[in-house]
Amino acid sequence: MIQLEGIEKVYRTERIETVALTNINLTVGEGEFISIMGPSGSGKSTLLNVIGLLDVPTGGKVALNSKPVTSYSDRNLARVRNEEIGFVFQTFHLIHDLSVVDNVEIPLLYRKGISSSERRKLALRALDRVGLHARVHHFPGQLSGGQQQRVAIARAIVGNPRILLADEPTGNLDSQMGDEIMDVLKGLNENEKTTVVMVTHDPRQAEKTERVVRLFDGRQVS
Amino acid sequence: MTKHLLKLVWNRKRINFLITVEIFFSFIVLFGVVLAAVYYVDNYNQPLGFAYENVWRVAVEMNDRGEDSQSSQIAQTDGTTPKEPTEKAEPVTATTFKQLIASAKEFDEVEAVATATVTPYGDGTDTSAIGDDSHPIRYGVNVVSDDYLQTLGLTLTRGRWFGKEDDGANYQPVVINERLSRDVFGDADPLGKELRRPNLPPKQEEEKRTPMRIVGVISEFRKDGEYTAPENFLFARQLLNNQMSREPRCLMLKVRSGTTAEFEEKVIKRFQSVAKDWSFEIEPVTKMRETANTFRLAPLIAGTLVAGFLMLMVAMGLTGVLWQNVTQRTREIGLRRAKGATARRIHKQILAELVIIATFGLIFGVAAVVQFPLLDVIGDISSRVFSLSILISLAVIYALTAVCGLYPSWMATKVQPAEALHYE
Ligand SMILES: Nc1ncnc2c1ncn2[C@@H]1O[C@H](COP(=O)(O)OP(=O)(O)O)[C@@H](O)[C@H]1O
Ligand SMILES: [Mg+2]
Repeated sequence: MIQLEGIEKVYRTERIETVALTNINLTVGEGEFISIMGPSGSGKSTLLNVIGLLDVPTGGKVALNSKPVTSYSDRNLARVRNEEIGFVFQTFHLIHDLSVVDNVEIPLLYRKGISSSERRKLALRALDRVGLHARVHHFPGQLSGGQQQRVAIARAIVGNPRILLADEPTGNLDSQMGDEIMDVLKGLNENEKTTVVMVTHDPRQAEKTERVVRLFDGRQVS
Repeated sequence: MTKHLLKLVWNRKRINFLITVEIFFSFIVLFGVVLAAVYYVDNYNQPLGFAYENVWRVAVEMNDRGEDSQSSQIAQTDGTTPKEPTEKAEPVTATTFKQLIASAKEFDEVEAVATATVTPYGDGTDTSAIGDDSHPIRYGVNVVSDDYLQTLGLTLTRGRWFGKEDDGANYQPVVINERLSRDVFGDADPLGKELRRPNLPPKQEEEKRTPMRIVGVISEFRKDGEYTAPENFLFARQLLNNQMSREPRCLMLKVRSGTTAEFEEKVIKRFQSVAKDWSFEIEPVTKMRETANTFRLAPLIAGTLVAGFLMLMVAMGLTGVLWQNVTQRTREIGLRRAKGATARRIHKQILAELVIIATFGLIFGVAAVVQFPLLDVIGDISSRVFSLSILISLAVIYALTAVCGLYPSWMATKVQPAEALHYE
């Protein structure tokens, strides 16, 4: 499902060179649920961004759904991000001037041939899948953190991607809400066979996944 | 997508309000200037009706008033129908004008000469009206001698100009322009018809008895020049005999092309010898035209400068607001990129939002300016000129906002999703 081969990532600013990732080799099978752990600054987000095609590695090869990502043209990147990947962030990144359901519809706006009524139907269904039935016409600011993250997950899965990437999805939530979000992710993984890669700080949440990849200073340590 | 953007713009109405207001006011100011410009251009493109090249106006100042008693006597008897001729003498003024015309004709350089009461591009105006008091039809008047047609190169479209054949007639021969004919008679033939005068004060009752009969129609005569709206016009015949009711104010000379200013002095000297106590002043009509048109264009030029400066300020302000708007939304833009929007798509979105915001401002702007005709603040501007001005102003404002949005929307395409979504 996901194959990384010798991934390198170096950030170059005017004078400083930061090596964020060094020789990462990772294979995630279809339907797997893995977590990435490591101290702050160890390159977890960078790795997830490389998998999610939000960032271009300075070296190495990425393959998604056993198709190598060779062309990094803007159009191709956008299509893969839209159709194959769902991304969930620590800070939700909801658009505050749009209602919950409008937020969830966003990925579908960038897909051809979906009518607005179809979009609405799919968005409501996605919200249903994450257990958010009410408040769909509220604005994100009127919801709790846990509810906001559910909205963000609904937005990530509305287009039925095969891969779900979550960067510390429970990092901004208390443990009870964090557990609820973990249940949602687990449910998606078990019921819909979605491949999930989750970055976490929390060993308790990491334990619930099938496999843990540990990073230290940009290197894979297990 | 449009619905999505409409919601987004609407939900951000507090931030977008400022831009809407800016657009609204720029539209109003721009519309004012564009309306004036379109009005002028529209007027300019319509026929003038006369030829001003090589026409000189000789302003005549009749200082000698020794014969005052006689002229006042004439004034009282003016308008008496020629049916009951009086045996009074011809006024000195009439005789002198006839002598001046004769002396002007002696010059080889002078091709035609006529007297007139008003001059194209000149200050003086003379207006009258017919019809009832509630719906008067107004028109400009010029009382001219028989050669005026050739002197100013007017174009007859129907009938004839007045001349000797009208001597002693029981009507006052007049020539009107097509516009006045249309206003009074519609499609009917005006020739031979009479123009009814409005109710005159008792003093002028007498004059009522001499009806004005239309003997001809000219295409046009736009006394105030090409920038003013065409108006109704009427030419009445100047009599230079004992029936003279009005004194001419000037002589119009059509001179041979290439006649230099030195000739002016020769003419004045000759005229001076004919009428010792009168004074004369010559000015080519081309020069009067320049002066009058400069005077008319000055407000438009000033308005254009003010509006241009305002547009520049608005454009700069708008670019600033949009730029700030984009920088505050890098997270949103990064998110949209992460969810599958191409850079092109982002570019289009920012511009589309701007068009929506501008459209709000412009809807209010158009709604405001269409009140102008209802409130009757723009006079006789045609609806064609009015709507064309609206269209031009809309196009300019849209173009302006698009230009202002170019840089900010380009900047939006440079947002890197990973960086934009990195931290809070
Ligand atoms: N856009 C960037 N420019 C420069 N350095 C960066 C950038 N993003 C991340 N880094 C650096 O790369 C390293 C890894 O960062 P990150 O992947 O965010 O770590 P983690 O998510 O594990 O905390 C850090 O040293 C960080 O400072
Ligand atoms: Mg991180």
